[in-house]
Amino acid sequence: MTSGTRTVLDMRGIEKRFGDVKALGHVDFDLDAGEIHALLGVNGAGKSTLIKILSGVYVKSGGTIAVGGVQHELGTPRAAIEAGIATVQQHPELVGDLTGAENIFLGHEGARPGLFGRIDRADIARRAEALLQRFPIQIDLSRRVADMPAVDREIVAILHALRLENTRILILDEPTSTLTEREKASLFSMMRMLRKAGIAIIYITHRLEEVYEIADRFTVFRGGQKVACHTVAEARGKAISIPVLMLGAGGGLTFPPRTGRSDGAVVLEAEGLSADGFANVSLTARKGEILGIFGLVGSGVDELSKALFGAIPSSGALRLEGRDVRFRSPAEALRAGIFLVPGDRRAEGLTLDENVIFNTVAANMSRASLGGLMRFGANRRAARELAQMVDLQPMRLDRDLRGFSGGNQQKVVIARGLYRQAKCYIFVEPTVGVDIGARSRIYALMREISKDAAVIVMSSDCDEVHGVADRTLALYKGRPIEGAADRDQLLHAGIMGGVAA
Amino acid sequence: MISNRLFIRLLAFAALVAVIAAIFWSQNPAFLSGGNIRALMRHMSVQGLAALGLTFVIVVRHFDLSFPGVASMGAMTLGWLIASGAPFPAAIAGALAVGLVFGLVNGIAVARFGLPDIVTTIATGGLAVGFSYFYSNGTSISQNFFMSGILDLNDKRIIGLDMPFAILMAAAGVAAVVLHASRVGAGMYATGQNRVSARFAGIATRRLIVLAFALCGTMACLAITLLVASSGAANVTAGGQLLMPAFAAVYLGAALFGRPSVGATLAGTLMMSTMLNGFTLLAIPYYYSDAIVSTVLIAAIAIFDPRLSGLLNFRKAAA
Repeated sequence: MTSGTRTVLDMRGIEKRFGDVKALGHVDFDLDAGEIHALLGVNGAGKSTLIKILSGVYVKSGGTIAVGGVQHELGTPRAAIEAGIATVQQHPELVGDLTGAENIFLGHEGARPGLFGRIDRADIARRAEALLQRFPIQIDLSRRVADMPAVDREIVAILHALRLENTRILILDEPTSTLTEREKASLFSMMRMLRKAGIAIIYITHRLEEVYEIADRFTVFRGGQKVACHTVAEARGKAISIPVLMLGAGGGLTFPPRTGRSDGAVVLEAEGLSADGFANVSLTARKGEILGIFGLVGSGVDELSKALFGAIPSSGALRLEGRDVRFRSPAEALRAGIFLVPGDRRAEGLTLDENVIFNTVAANMSRASLGGLMRFGANRRAARELAQMVDLQPMRLDRDLRGFSGGNQQKVVIARGLYRQAKCYIFVEPTVGVDIGARSRIYALMREISKDAAVIVMSSDCDEVHGVADRTLALYKGRPIEGAADRDQLLHAGIMGGVAA
Repeated sequence: MISNRLFIRLLAFAALVAVIAAIFWSQNPAFLSGGNIRALMRHMSVQGLAALGLTFVIVVRHFDLSFPGVASMGAMTLGWLIASGAPFPAAIAGALAVGLVFGLVNGIAVARFGLPDIVTTIATGGLAVGFSYFYSNGTSISQNFFMSGILDLNDKRIIGLDMPFAILMAAAGVAAVVLHASRVGAGMYATGQNRVSARFAGIATRRLIVLAFALCGTMACLAITLLVASSGAANVTAGGQLLMPAFAAVYLGAALFGRPSVGATLAGTLMMSTMLNGFTLLAIPYYYSDAIVSTVLIAAIAIFDPRLSGLLNFRKAAA
């Protein structure tokens, strides 16, 4: 680190209580200028609470915060920004119709004198130029944000956070969750550049391999306490296991054992299936095994899942249990016995303002109603049974889905599928935004489901596909690539489009 | 926890109604007389039916601005059928059919062809107003009304309730079962909150949207039938007075109870009718009472809507 180990943030004995619940108990946290510090922990471990205190969203119940050696109270987001702390949310809110530069200075455009106070575009361009000189990044800020790839939007959001000269601390909340591998690399190179410029970055992620790739130090939270803080070099040297720190002893990401069988009855078969986004895909899903399809964002996996589910039109042959089928709508696919756990569960999988019972029975109204009327008692019982099976936490059937963590929302989508009793389950990006504890549970559930049905898992996480599936296939730019024998070949197939020798 | 929150909302609502009633009563003790309360319930019946129909459309997150025009055409159809000697049940069926047809047209245009709901329903509403002039070139129709028996809809009593109020209660009961205890209602809420996830759950979102518009048109015509029965004449401008109170009732109710529902709409209607009735008793000109009701509506939405108050906080924080 060029700027040495100058402490820019020093939090001592931070506490946060919500009524009787202690979300954060006496936590110390410090940050050096020019370091990338990963913040780790399962959902509910306390890392978001700490971040919200730091960004002024929550008021701390106790403890002291010093930024650059000066004591701060940070009761409001504005106070945090004035202290030099900027936050980039997990899903940054940008205005799609404005350019990158306009988004960066949104609300601070500076008007030209005159009756209408017209926005001074030349001035915005100048200031954007100046910002890019401070932080040299390859990006065209004159493009409309809606036309930008996901990584450029993330960069715009980061530049927005850095637009004030005094910003010393940057908080990034799961910035890579929607990025492809290649986009991730360019985000990381931007983070390294910011580190060089002396910005301290707090980096929240669920992907542990990223910690070794980008971070200098990491702090692990568990149950509202800080359980460890190490430099990455230390962790490597002493072989410290981050999953064990996150979950306590005995933790770690485990994939359920494979059955080793591939002789189950063929459930779903596609031959030369094509649609907008992929072409000429053939696959076979059998009962008793999990078929894994690895593909980056934009590779066509999302489209493939939707074509199999009848949500987008496709051409080619599709057979279900030996019979030719063509689904014109998801309703037809559901009736035939296909269930999709979609990649974007918030937008496609759930009704967030309804409770667990409603969401569990939603995909099988015929079973949930009698003579058109809802069977309230039976539905509650069925939802409770399934919620216990998927290990929903907390076990609150009357709570709206909005009040659950990502992992538990995903469990409800799976419960919905189980209630439907389908013959073939398609999981797309099943563990995006899901913490490591819930991930193991979801993999185990897939394996359980595969005993009675065919399971297809599509993901941009190569380790996930390789870890959970019996057979694998890669999708590269809409093209299927078969024959990958191990994890590295699969990764190569999905990223480069060929199987390495 | 949920029921607890509902209880608090009910309590807040009862307190609000009590305060409003107390204010009117202190100004004019006749406000709480039996006769006035019956008048209030009558007023509620017409507004409530239109608002109930609109509730379905709001639940699927669409807008229907056509129902006042459709109601006018329904009123004129009813009047014309009665004037030409049709028995009054057939005349009512004719009026309801007008609402149903226009509702289906709206629903199919919006759900099947993806036309923008606001513009489409303004246009179909305008069309309906135009048609309503066909019957009599715009003069009001009242021939045969006394003979036909339609006035019974207004005058008769049933189990101690005035007929219009009994009809409202019956309609509310049916609407509550459909919206809150049937798969149709569950599908409508799912459709309104997240169209994509509803489609992925196999719910027939388009059909439910068409049904919501159809119910809205039909209920508006049922409401106007009661209004025609009470005034004894069909009028081309009859539907105009439904628009603002219906939207106000649905939104006021949704603001009070967190989401649109049959109960919320009835509560909203009760508040709107109480205020309008009170202002009439105080001899405040109707153009002022409109303004006051609108102000109350906006204030209620701002105070009760958590998202809106959240937005205000956010604005404050970001400023």
